[in-house]
Amino acid sequence: MDGFLEEEEEEAAVAATKKKAAVGSALLPALHLPFLPPHLYQPASSHEYKLNFKKSKEMCLSYIQDAMLQKQWKKAAEFLTFYIESLEKDFSTEYVSPSEMIWRIGTEILCHHSRSSMKEFNSFTEQMKSLGVKRYLKVCLEHTFHLLCNGLIDEAYQNLSLSESWRFGEQTVIQDKEMKLIKAYKGLLDYYNWSKQKNILLEHGQDGFEDLSVEQEMHSYFRKAAVNLKEIIKIPGVWDLFVKCYVDLLEFYGDHNEARQVLNEYAYNSKFPANPNAHVYLYQFLKRHGESKKSLVSALKILHEVVPSHELMIDFNIMLQKSKKRKRRRLGLEVIFAVLDYAGWKENVKAWSCLAKQVKQIVISEKHLDWIQQEWNSRKDWWPAFHFSRYSAKRNWQENESLSYEKALVAGILLGKGCKYFKYVSHQGCKAQVKRFRILKKFVNKHNPVYLRISGLSDCSVQP
Amino acid sequence: MEFPAALFPSYFGAGPPQEEGGPAPVAGWGEHGQVLEAGLGRRQAETTFVPRRGGMGESWEPADAAAVPLLPPNASCWVPSVAPQDILYRGVLRRKLQAGKYGAALDFTKQLSHFFVDHPEDVFGSLGQLLHQNFYLGNSKLRVSVRPAVTMPSPTPPLAAAIPSLCPLSSLQRQARDCTIRMTALREVIDRLEARRSCPRQHLVPRLRWFSHLSRDWLFEVPLGLLADCVHEDLLLQWASLLFDDSPTGGALAWLPPKDVGARTGRLVYPGGQAMNHLCILPCGVSLGREGRGHVALPLADTPDFQDVVLEELPCAQGSPAQFELNGRIRQVAAARVDGEDFVGVRSDYHCGVWSVSGRTGATPTPLQVIRTSVPASCLTVSPHLPGELAVCTQSGAIYLWNVETGLQRLRHDPQTMFFRDDSPWRWSDFTAHPRVLSCADRTGLQCLDTRAPERCHFDLFKVGEEAGCQQGERVVLPMYMGRAYSSQHLVTTQFSVYVLDERLPLVPVLKWAHMMKAPPLFAHLTPGGPGRSHKVLLGTSRTQELLLLQYRGEKRGSGVSVGLGGSRSACQLAGPPQKLHSIASCLQHLPAQLPHRHCLLQQRLGAPAAGLAAALQEDGLRESLLVFQLSEAGDCPPEPCASSQPSPAPQEAKRPEEPCASPQPSPAAALRYRRWMKALSKGCGDPPQRTRPRTFGQKRLFTRKELEEPSAPSTLHGQARQRLRQAMQDGGRIQRWDPPPPALPQPLEPAVGDTDPLSTRLTASWGWDWERWWEERTSFNMAQRQQALRERRRRQKRARGRHSLSASFTSSITYQSELSELSDAAPPPLSPGPPREV
Repeated sequence: MDGFLEEEEEEAAVAATKKKAAVGSALLPALHLPFLPPHLYQPASSHEYKLNFKKSKEMCLSYIQDAMLQKQWKKAAEFLTFYIESLEKDFSTEYVSPSEMIWRIGTEILCHHSRSSMKEFNSFTEQMKSLGVKRYLKVCLEHTFHLLCNGLIDEAYQNLSLSESWRFGEQTVIQDKEMKLIKAYKGLLDYYNWSKQKNILLEHGQDGFEDLSVEQEMHSYFRKAAVNLKEIIKIPGVWDLFVKCYVDLLEFYGDHNEARQVLNEYAYNSKFPANPNAHVYLYQFLKRHGESKKSLVSALKILHEVVPSHELMIDFNIMLQKSKKRKRRRLGLEVIFAVLDYAGWKENVKAWSCLAKQVKQIVISEKHLDWIQQEWNSRKDWWPAFHFSRYSAKRNWQENESLSYEKALVAGILLGKGCKYFKYVSHQGCKAQVKRFRILKKFVNKHNPVYLRISGLSDCSVQP
Repeated sequence: MEFPAALFPSYFGAGPPQEEGGPAPVAGWGEHGQVLEAGLGRRQAETTFVPRRGGMGESWEPADAAAVPLLPPNASCWVPSVAPQDILYRGVLRRKLQAGKYGAALDFTKQLSHFFVDHPEDVFGSLGQLLHQNFYLGNSKLRVSVRPAVTMPSPTPPLAAAIPSLCPLSSLQRQARDCTIRMTALREVIDRLEARRSCPRQHLVPRLRWFSHLSRDWLFEVPLGLLADCVHEDLLLQWASLLFDDSPTGGALAWLPPKDVGARTGRLVYPGGQAMNHLCILPCGVSLGREGRGHVALPLADTPDFQDVVLEELPCAQGSPAQFELNGRIRQVAAARVDGEDFVGVRSDYHCGVWSVSGRTGATPTPLQVIRTSVPASCLTVSPHLPGELAVCTQSGAIYLWNVETGLQRLRHDPQTMFFRDDSPWRWSDFTAHPRVLSCADRTGLQCLDTRAPERCHFDLFKVGEEAGCQQGERVVLPMYMGRAYSSQHLVTTQFSVYVLDERLPLVPVLKWAHMMKAPPLFAHLTPGGPGRSHKVLLGTSRTQELLLLQYRGEKRGSGVSVGLGGSRSACQLAGPPQKLHSIASCLQHLPAQLPHRHCLLQQRLGAPAAGLAAALQEDGLRESLLVFQLSEAGDCPPEPCASSQPSPAPQEAKRPEEPCASPQPSPAAALRYRRWMKALSKGCGDPPQRTRPRTFGQKRLFTRKELEEPSAPSTLHGQARQRLRQAMQDGGRIQRWDPPPPALPQPLEPAVGDTDPLSTRLTASWGWDWERWWEERTSFNMAQRQQALRERRRRQKRARGRHSLSASFTSSITYQSELSELSDAAPPPLSPGPPREV
């Protein structure tokens, strides 16, 4: 045992020198490499031969790692039983202590081992909880997640309540965060219980039957959930799930102002990340409560600025197209052009038909051609290659006829009747005797001067 | 394109990373991260949850016991890479260094002395020639035969100045003696120093010190200080690249999948040749097809006015498979498919080129354009949106958008890093979901910038800091656009973790996982999965050759079930446990057994750092296989199917992955490939080539006159020894034992019968390879044996007294020897205490 202790001291000394080396030597890598073998940057210790226990520990760990990465869980479990010996003298100053390693490895093995059961998992986790004070909350949280994913919601709730009451000395920042998460998840489960009670009550309410105890229980769930959920969504973060639940609670009890405030805070507080969902939730809330068009437009306009490629932009464009205000229709064109800039929308029929519809409208009315021209100016050098190549004409025609129709219309107007895309598609369409393609060809031929005006050619060429 | 309706909960902080970075060997295990409601149906009885990590994935199993070589070994490339022990100091001073300050020390003096020995012409060339006459290498006294202009050493200019044009002979003699240094003495001193290796410094001999002091300034061709600086600088560079080399970032291997889904022949693009400077484009698949000879002629585009980058001439194709010789080591090969045509970008240090490979089988790859950079380029990526568009970064901090038709556009030039100070000049750039927006990265993070207004329009996509929950010391190693899976997602690897980012939610990673790899992952490859399937991400490291297969998904869920609100895409999750794939070095144990030194060489070769990674997905009915190619720096190409499997058709219903049966033996087909590969390797580059002509030295310079003196009358023994030596030299063998086969015994000097001259008996014994026994005999160790032998001899002598012939005496001595050896065979004599060694 003395030998072990000596070795540990040695180990600590080596760790200390490692730190020193990190400060002093100019021969360290440009990038901090966590797993660089020490012999590469420091001369071997004269006492290296003594550190046999450490070496065998590392070797055992690497065997476990190899087995796990090759999905040999049985083998890994066998090795882990040997590795547990490293717990016997866990005084090391290593960054990650052996007990944490055992927790992580053990959990992973139990998750995948063909003969593991929930009971074993629970008992293992309970042991791990008692092994390290620092990690208690984290282990609890992970345990809860595991229970939740396996559908054991009541057990998870119990687990959360237990860990909520845990106290040990002064909490670190991380522990504080974990505690808040535990409370938030408890609030979430309270919310689910509340909504269960609510459904029962609603169903029974239809039957004309009222149960006071159920109602009281429901309200108590509401209070518990609301307190915890309110707490977490004040802290900057991504809390989609919690916000949705909290707003649902508030809406049910008719506290619309509070709900609106929460959603506004979540969407527009600069300390929070730019989460598109925050805007979506706000928009949906406004829509649910029949807010004025103006507020809906302003909410979506901000979303358009943050995420121009969001799927709500299609709705936004439709809404703006219908508008009587010129400014809004102008914005609508901008929105739909911006959506089609993105690769993900390249083959979306809905988006193309929106654009085609609006462009067609403008061309027929012959008003505001300058809008198209302005939008087209920043795109004319790359849209032809991006959207209107001969290859994509062929593919679109083969795969989606209506997509090729919408695109051909836009191409014909923006690039003229000589455009490759339009030529190919209209030719194929006419060959296949599809009526709308013939009409399309006529339409584009008729409005060819528009193309000249959009592309700025009309000044130097004689109009036919 | 839909954004997930709800994201996994996470904290969002700002500022520098708080968590202390340390080696966390198992950090990626055992965590679910967070959970998210999956049922989405409030009306359902039970709510179900999905974890961020730990969900079920597809089950993939390795098809073979180890990686199998795909191509014959790159025979022309055999430069073993530098190992730490080549550079680091491992001598006496090690302990001293250890006692004092810690840290590795570069063995600078060794490198410098190697340089002097290996390149004497470069170091001492002209001065050595000039001073040649002033060094005397003989041993005898310096004599100058004074026959002016014939044998007199022509003095060097400074010396010549000292010599008057006409001087008496005696003074000329003295002059010559004064300005000639006797090297033999110096050599002796050095030899003595060598013998006392333990202390090279303490006993500096005055003569040596005097000589070095005298000659330090002028003897070297290159000023010593300058040379030392250069060597030291190079050592530091070598050392830095040994620890972490970022030049192969991105990988020099690309797979161009077949154009038609049903077709089986894709193409593999990889570097080959002596300096990895040949770009090879090999059609490969189930049948390895042959490629026709291609020739290229293309007009050069206009040279744009950039100080950093200029257009260059195009390389020409030669041979088959289509091969292009480039003038630089290929660091990276990037490829993307736009409109059915593959564009292949190739980066070497100072040149970048782009090829187009049309989808038709048998078509020749066409080089489109080449640019030259004045600072090494660190990144080249090909646009997946627009044909002929690439992004180039140089180490000076410049980022260019390179369009084959319109030329280069500089988007940014900033030698400083973006978010905080970092010394690395490494830059990276990739494309995003918007064809006009490029991401640009340095070690501190990623930004997206609009190429139409690069100064004004940009946003931060990823920052090493609290925003993404990074650790201290964490740095970006490789960003990759994952448009083929989700058009707005990016992969970012650091030395600790791998992140998935969404452009629509900047700064907050939608997925984070500690990858636990031993070296930073420099290569990544994405194999998108179909609807309802997981996407496969391969990560690869260079130095340690690790390969890791991850699966992640974020598919549309329950498209049939209309769920009240908006989007129905679920948030990004990691599916299934990560899986390690076989590396190149893994096939070592399956190769045929080798001689130890060859095994060592092979080990070195197979253990060379990886240089690239590619993968091809092949579907064959229900069975799917993923071929993973890994390229090593030695140019050994891509070992073949690393992973292959039968994923269950419906991954959601996948059962628990079975324990893979670890097949210890490779399949017969693989074994055949191993054998073929080994054969080709030993044929192509067995041992490193020897010097064509060994250097010869005049023996007069090595031996003193006395040593070279011919013996007055060469004896027969002399003659025979010489003959043997000559024979051995002719055969290229060596004389292992001086004792020749019995019939060819050299005639020893004739000892008169009864002659007890100890020297001659000793010589006889030593010629007969029984000298040791003779010594034992002498030292009267084996008394009994000796007495016995003596008795024997006496008996024999008595018998042979009649015939006094030389031959008879010789044979008798032979029998005596053999008998003695028989005896010793029966019972080995104890070792005598320290008999003098035979020299």
